[in-house]
Amino acid sequence: MSDTWRLIDMRVEDAYTQMGIDEAIAYARRRGETPNTVRLYRWSPSAVSVGYFQSIENEVDLDACSRLGVDVIRRITGGGAVFHDYDGEITYSLVAPDDDPKIPRDIISSYRLICGCVIKGLERLGLDSEFKPINDIVAGGRKISGNAQTRRYGAVLQHGTVLVDCDPRKIFTVLKVSGTKISDKMIKAAEERVTNVRRELGRDVSFEEARDALVSGFEETLDVRLEPGELTAYEAELMEKFREKYRSHEWVFRR
Amino acid sequence: MNGLGRVEFKVPGGKLIAAEAEAEGGRIVRVKITGDFFMHPEEAIEELEGSLTGVPVDERSLEEAMNGFFGSRSIELIGVAPRDFVHVIRMSLGSP
Repeated sequence: MSDTWRLIDMRVEDAYTQMGIDEAIAYARRRGETPNTVRLYRWSPSAVSVGYFQSIENEVDLDACSRLGVDVIRRITGGGAVFHDYDGEITYSLVAPDDDPKIPRDIISSYRLICGCVIKGLERLGLDSEFKPINDIVAGGRKISGNAQTRRYGAVLQHGTVLVDCDPRKIFTVLKVSGTKISDKMIKAAEERVTNVRRELGRDVSFEEARDALVSGFEETLDVRLEPGELTAYEAELMEKFREKYRSHEWVFRR
Repeated sequence: MNGLGRVEFKVPGGKLIAAEAEAEGGRIVRVKITGDFFMHPEEAIEELEGSLTGVPVDERSLEEAMNGFFGSRSIELIGVAPRDFVHVIRMSLGSP
């Protein structure tokens, strides 16, 4: 019989709340009160997240973000900058104790496993993709998902983005691309490197359909049943605290 | 104060790293390392930057300091190795 994990399903929140929830769940694992959890979510307003080690001024066009009402946040995970477009992206996160029998100790192996959940989900939609170490998923050689992991509080936290649709012009507006003007050539080059679910399948896949496929992908790959649930009161309280950190200038401009 | 400002280096088969380092009298006075790599625990990066202050800018001293830092702690680096940090810091210092 397969284990039951908690599913926190398609919450739409701002960047600070989403990152606060991910960290709160990881933190709460210490108390052992919180079940292993998979979340699927979307960001509203749309936001740019940068990796823990990135220089925000070098990665993000802060003026463009403020003009467009796009939030800017720093993650606790490493990796690269991501544009979380409300109209084009689903984020997932997974939290489990770092000694969970299902999660490999080796970090790349655990990326491979957890990315495998997304790959299985995409397969449900009829889309072939593969894990590309260190932390990407590619379809037809083009990136369709970026992932990032941390291990802290005795937990593994991995979150990642699944591109359902994407507009390279929007991405180049909010992310810095070495000071050059956005050209058709750049857009074309980006389209060579990055793809998305709708483009690959050539049809208008809804967020609901993508969500259903991802849920199955996680269940099947991890051999668990995902049961819809909510944050515990303890997690909700922690989230408020972490959210303040993520909102603070000190944190966002830390590096 | 010597230093070229922020210099980037793409680790072959790995991640993009950048360093912004300054030296005075042949010793590092400030260094910031950024990029899209992974380091567990993440906060070790600030500790690393702090530990490099005062280190002579020559390759051997910097290598020794870097190896000493990583050798004495349980830190996992992904997409980058300690020698890549040495390399990009030396680039940023304008060293040949």
